[in-house]
Amino acid sequence: MALLLDILTTVAILYAVASGLLLIFGVMKIINFAHGAFLTLGAYASLVASNLGLSPWAGVPLAILVGALAGMVVELLIMRPLYARPLDAILATWGLGMVIGQLITLAFGREVQFVASPVQGTVNVWGTDYSAYRLLLVVAAAVIGIGMAALLTRTRFGLITRAVIMNEQLARGLGIHSGAVRFITFSVGAGLGSLAGCLITPLSSVDPNMGIPWLMNAFMLVMVSGASMASLLLATLLFGAIQVVVSTYFSPILGGLAIVVLAAITLRIRPKGFARD
Amino acid sequence: MLVVAVAPFMLDSYTLSILVRAIFFAMLALTVDILWGYTGVLTFGQSAFFGAGAYAAGLVFTHLGFSPEMAALALGEALLSAGLIALLVGWLSFYHGATPLYASVISLVLPIVMTQLLFSGGTFTGSSSGLTGYVSFDLSLEAWFWWAGFALIAITALAWRFVHSDAGRLLVATRDNEMRCSYLGINTSTLKIGLLVATALVAAVAGFGYASFSGVVAPELAGFVFGTEIIIWVALGGRGTLIGPVFGALLIECASAYLGGSLPYVWKLLLGAAFVGVIVLLPQGLLPALLARWLPKHWATSAKPAVTLVEAAARPTSGAQATEAVALRGVGKHYGSLRVLKDIDLVAAPGELVSLIGPNGAGKTTLMRCMSDGAERSSGTVHIAGNDIGRAPPYVAVRYGLGRKFQTANVFATLTVAESLRIARTRLDPPSLWRRAEQLALPAYALAVLQVTQLDKKLDTEARNLSHGEQQALELAMVLAMEPRVLLLDEPTAGLTLAERTLIGQVFLDLTHRFGLCLLLVEHDIEFVREISTRLVVLHEGHIAMQGSVQEVVESELVRTIYSGAAATPHGASA
Repeated sequence: MALLLDILTTVAILYAVASGLLLIFGVMKIINFAHGAFLTLGAYASLVASNLGLSPWAGVPLAILVGALAGMVVELLIMRPLYARPLDAILATWGLGMVIGQLITLAFGREVQFVASPVQGTVNVWGTDYSAYRLLLVVAAAVIGIGMAALLTRTRFGLITRAVIMNEQLARGLGIHSGAVRFITFSVGAGLGSLAGCLITPLSSVDPNMGIPWLMNAFMLVMVSGASMASLLLATLLFGAIQVVVSTYFSPILGGLAIVVLAAITLRIRPKGFARD
Repeated sequence: MLVVAVAPFMLDSYTLSILVRAIFFAMLALTVDILWGYTGVLTFGQSAFFGAGAYAAGLVFTHLGFSPEMAALALGEALLSAGLIALLVGWLSFYHGATPLYASVISLVLPIVMTQLLFSGGTFTGSSSGLTGYVSFDLSLEAWFWWAGFALIAITALAWRFVHSDAGRLLVATRDNEMRCSYLGINTSTLKIGLLVATALVAAVAGFGYASFSGVVAPELAGFVFGTEIIIWVALGGRGTLIGPVFGALLIECASAYLGGSLPYVWKLLLGAAFVGVIVLLPQGLLPALLARWLPKHWATSAKPAVTLVEAAARPTSGAQATEAVALRGVGKHYGSLRVLKDIDLVAAPGELVSLIGPNGAGKTTLMRCMSDGAERSSGTVHIAGNDIGRAPPYVAVRYGLGRKFQTANVFATLTVAESLRIARTRLDPPSLWRRAEQLALPAYALAVLQVTQLDKKLDTEARNLSHGEQQALELAMVLAMEPRVLLLDEPTAGLTLAERTLIGQVFLDLTHRFGLCLLLVEHDIEFVREISTRLVVLHEGHIAMQGSVQEVVESELVRTIYSGAAATPHGASA
């Protein structure tokens, strides 16, 4: 039972972290290597909130705000000239991640810090005592997933965004301002990254380089998922479960490698990954 | 060289030791520049090979002790392990149809896996703290500097010679247009795997030298973050210049050693900001930008030796000529439930000029794709000059004698006309790894195309600076340079003037009558088709509606109704 709950919560966390990256990749065909840095920003936002003595929940809106603002600035200043050069965009966003990481180090120091969880204690789930906060994350990830699905399928913005995903030239020809779509998407994606960072802080420590391992796993999951939220869920469920099982029964080091290695092999066998044709 | 020779007498020992380390890093930067700057493969994984070389030294010297024999063993192990890993990674990364992004993804996975394995190695690999305190070569700092410095100069000179040789142009051709390479009979996968192995060996030697000199190895050396640092050196110095990345690595490493101590975070911040700035604003890096400003313009271009065109000696055609130049049997193609081609049976003999006609969407271009790329068709068989192409990628069909000219000009943007033609001859006249040939031998008909279109006067012009019509002619000349037996031409007269069209028609007639090539033409210009074809094939809704002599087809009722769009198909499938 504990194993099942571990899998469920791990998958939820991975899904929350990867969703922002997937959104940006899906719409812009660009891999945002600054995603790890946005995640770190969110984590420090929640650290600031808790140091200021605010309610632990105040970190959440603060993280979204900080991440989205950072996303806006980055899109305007850096991403615009790079849409035609996707490989360069990876490099520029990686460099940006370095810059953000160093700024955080200058402001907060490089030592590891901790944030208290807003929800303490455990909940009894069918006879197993389990961390309440981890269970709460499952709800949060579900909200993010459903929220994004609703945004994309139920709103006018979603319709326009899907048009841009499918055929940007045609969308532009129909008078859709694809620049605006990119701007909003990048900001939302960055905001989601920060939100995820804020959500995982109570589980892990906070340090300026915390984003990198998360970035790698999220990146590989997005690569195998194409541009679909549904296939991301499938990939995360499968690989997340394998990661937990391998970590529990074999070794945590092998478990940590599970996602990147499996994703690489999946792509070699089936270049589309989990995406449908 | 003089600088390297005298430097030890001018510099203090701290600077010197930093420089020696930086020199080993610069060798690594060279390998990334060859892969990324020249070949277009963005790699984060060269650090893994550096780490493999470093750990080979560290492990052998720690566990077996140091002696000249052990050093040789360690070096051998460094080369072997790096080579094998590179083979595996290359096989994973560069299969036919792999996207450039996938190779980058794999190059990311490699260092992550390497570091985790080193972490989990316990006392054998020293885990996270690595290995220190082993005995290594007993050399003075000055001797190290000379050894490393001259090695760096030698490697740079070799790399320079290679990328500027005829074979080195293949790297740029692969970067510019991998598909065209494949349709020139070049197996780009093998090329890239070979290149990766070669660069991995150099990186391993650099790692071996680094570990022997510094007496420390740590998992970070094989890591992904170090891999991205190399990219920063290359990007700032100037990708695709060799010299730029070397100076990038040397300067940044020295600056890091001095500034990293006093202002660690600010220095990394500045470096990151400079990296982002260069990628966004100066993608070619700082060295080319400085050169463009300070050096006279003709410096960059005058280095290329003039090429003279000569006629290639006729090749004896091997064995008995196959009676079927191309043969398709039961070829079909469907996307899901949409059937684009159905049961195509088509045979053409040497010396025939067969034109495929039919309205838009009839499947003409798809049929050409199925003839050249084994992975395209859903059913049936394709034989080129008697050889079954199976499921093989285009370069195999090309080796059997196929040449394909695409509908829109498909050339190498940054290569000159002469270089492009040289690449087209790769399979017949293997290029030198070392020199640039001054003569370029081409078959008579390829020379004729160049003369007719006056491209022979523009041999030093880059393809992207040619007009649309000239690019079309260049592509045709490149395809002909391969001396194909079967030529697929997709709308070769599109965009040509009437006079050019007549000339090109004459060339086609010559190819079939005098040289016995088999031509398959997709063409909308019925007048043109009528004048030169020996046979017409009418394609309609994915199947062959009719074939026969020009006379028969042009006068048939069926073709008229197909083109006027009112006909029911012979099968009555749709109206």
